[in-house]
Amino acid sequence: MNFAALAIALPFLAAALLGLVGAPRQGAIGNAVASALLFGLTLSVFWGHSAGLVAVDPLAALFGTVSGFVGLTASLVNIGYVTADAARMPDQRWRLYHALFQIALGASLLGLYADNIGLLWAAMEGGTIAMTLGVSLYRTPTGLEAAWKYFILGGVGIGLALFGTMLVYLAAQPALGPGFSAMSFRALSAHAAHMDGALLTLAFVFILFGYGTKAALVPLHGWLPDAYAEGPAPLTTALSGLLINVALLAILRFRHLLAANPEAMRPGPFLLSLGLASLFLAAFSFSRRRDARRFFGFSSIEQSGISAFAFGIGGPAAIFGGLLHMLLHTLLKSGLFLALIRAASLRGSASPGNYTFSHLRGLLQANKYVAWLLGACIFALTGLPPSGLFASEFIIISQTIQRNPYMSLPLGLGLLLCAVAILRNVGPLLFAPAPYEKPQPAGRGIWLVAVHLALVFLLAFAMPGPLVHLLSRAAETLR
Amino acid sequence: MSLTFSLAHFMGGIILLCAFLQLSQRRLAAMITLYQTEALVLSAAAFWQGYAQGELNLYLTGLITFTLKAVLLPWGLREIVRRFNMVRAVETALPMAMAMILGLALIGVAVLVLLPVTMGTLSLTREDLAIALSVVLLGLLLMILRRNALAQIIGFLSMENGLVLAAIGMPGMPFVAEFSVALLVLLAFLVVGAFLFRIREHFDTLDLSGLEKIERRGR
Repeated sequence: MNFAALAIALPFLAAALLGLVGAPRQGAIGNAVASALLFGLTLSVFWGHSAGLVAVDPLAALFGTVSGFVGLTASLVNIGYVTADAARMPDQRWRLYHALFQIALGASLLGLYADNIGLLWAAMEGGTIAMTLGVSLYRTPTGLEAAWKYFILGGVGIGLALFGTMLVYLAAQPALGPGFSAMSFRALSAHAAHMDGALLTLAFVFILFGYGTKAALVPLHGWLPDAYAEGPAPLTTALSGLLINVALLAILRFRHLLAANPEAMRPGPFLLSLGLASLFLAAFSFSRRRDARRFFGFSSIEQSGISAFAFGIGGPAAIFGGLLHMLLHTLLKSGLFLALIRAASLRGSASPGNYTFSHLRGLLQANKYVAWLLGACIFALTGLPPSGLFASEFIIISQTIQRNPYMSLPLGLGLLLCAVAILRNVGPLLFAPAPYEKPQPAGRGIWLVAVHLALVFLLAFAMPGPLVHLLSRAAETLR
Repeated sequence: MSLTFSLAHFMGGIILLCAFLQLSQRRLAAMITLYQTEALVLSAAAFWQGYAQGELNLYLTGLITFTLKAVLLPWGLREIVRRFNMVRAVETALPMAMAMILGLALIGVAVLVLLPVTMGTLSLTREDLAIALSVVLLGLLLMILRRNALAQIIGFLSMENGLVLAAIGMPGMPFVAEFSVALLVLLAFLVVGAFLFRIREHFDTLDLSGLEKIERRGR
């Protein structure tokens, strides 16, 4: 049975339903039920078989499952968020919010599962529209400004990606002829060697800058910190990492076409320079960020840059490292944001504008569980052991030393700078003296953060055999 | 075959000319008229390609382009201009002459990049693609040079016309109609977004119930 098509259809159906009826709290519960069903479907994709436009390879199935899991936990924490915040927006807008939540999930699944470069593009566009509407949901001036930035940058990125998509189709003409097969990733990578090399290089430049905008690689990252900071937290922060994954995987797949074509330019230098630029920009932007969500937005830029760097180094092991890094970072970052939402609601409200570090400091007094979990997530983000990210970063660095030794120095320096900048925030956030407050209950759903953290640790240091096999097979075919 | 070539190139040329002329316009109304002309010619080009390639899909693209982009969108844009009285509201970041020189340079870049690369493909696609890339780059330039939200949108719309022009010239490409619909949805949201943006600038508020303290936090 084609579970993948079902998994794509379910969120869109749920979006239609949630968009039309229900009070905020009912909507949140419905949203959680739909997300739970969706998680089940994304798991079953491993056993279903699929063909045609939606043909899932194991790598896509794995990332789909992670997306389903993140959607489920975010929707569970979302219930508390909506209940506390219900009075801030009219019911209609909450319905739109829940519809957007599902559309964002559906678009990222479509982008992962589609075996067609046109469908992939349509998914990225749908995701962009959902996220922009999400960012402007509170209708604050800063929110509208952030949404405008997202519109313009995202729109240009989408446009460039479409031009690149058409050029790939044109480059495939000598090998595959007109029709659907010239747009399928499977057919394209099977015939990559016979495609028009020069045209393919040009197409890759457009694709890199188009999807690079969505992956927030450096010259094109401007929208991300604002979008993270201004929208409703469960939608624009916890879920937006999923679309970044779709964009990075798309870049990886197109990179493979280039690498497999003898006439095309090597994709490595492009990706290496964009990756390093992202890493260093993030490292120097961490200081003087007062809003925690904006701060962790820059950290997403950093992590996205690290994965792009790994893809630029090339070779199965480095790509394995990059994919592992994407997986772990998605789990870790969404867990971190869930903890952050709880932390902000301990201090009154979790709506935008309540996430400044000065507002949150001294969390240990408010609730020790939330504080320790948040602290652990932030520490894990630095990539120091025993964090899971240590494993993937170790693979990437050792591969860099082996394949491109000169690049290992800037990579190490960038990672170190980022780690120091992130670590500086843990102390004040947890231990700083704050005016006396009564300790509050942690709230339901905080254990989900612990699950995220445990998964990151397990996947990095005790990854089950079948998963290692799956990832290394995928890295081997995409090298 | 020669008529196919010359008509397709002629229409591509008009679209490029419209995109280029938008750089030199100071008034929004003139930019909208140019955009409308561009969309009109684009729909004619889609019909012509549909006839030349024998593709039913392209007729659909032409129909969508005509009704939505050549009729409805310009009407909506004019309505926004009229409601907010921004007839002469276009500020530019660079002098016009400078903008036009930059535009010319971009057209040169597009031709120099695309023509050598596409030696192997059909010559109809080749030259159409060079024109389309020029239109895309000119749209991007327009977006950079204008400070006004609506003018930026017109730049974006023009860029999108370039993309559709490239898509209809691709031999037998599936999904062309779907692409143009998907892009249109994005455009519609852009226009609505600009509308909200203007309202906020105009009345300084939109719907800020329950939000007394608005400040720039933690940039």
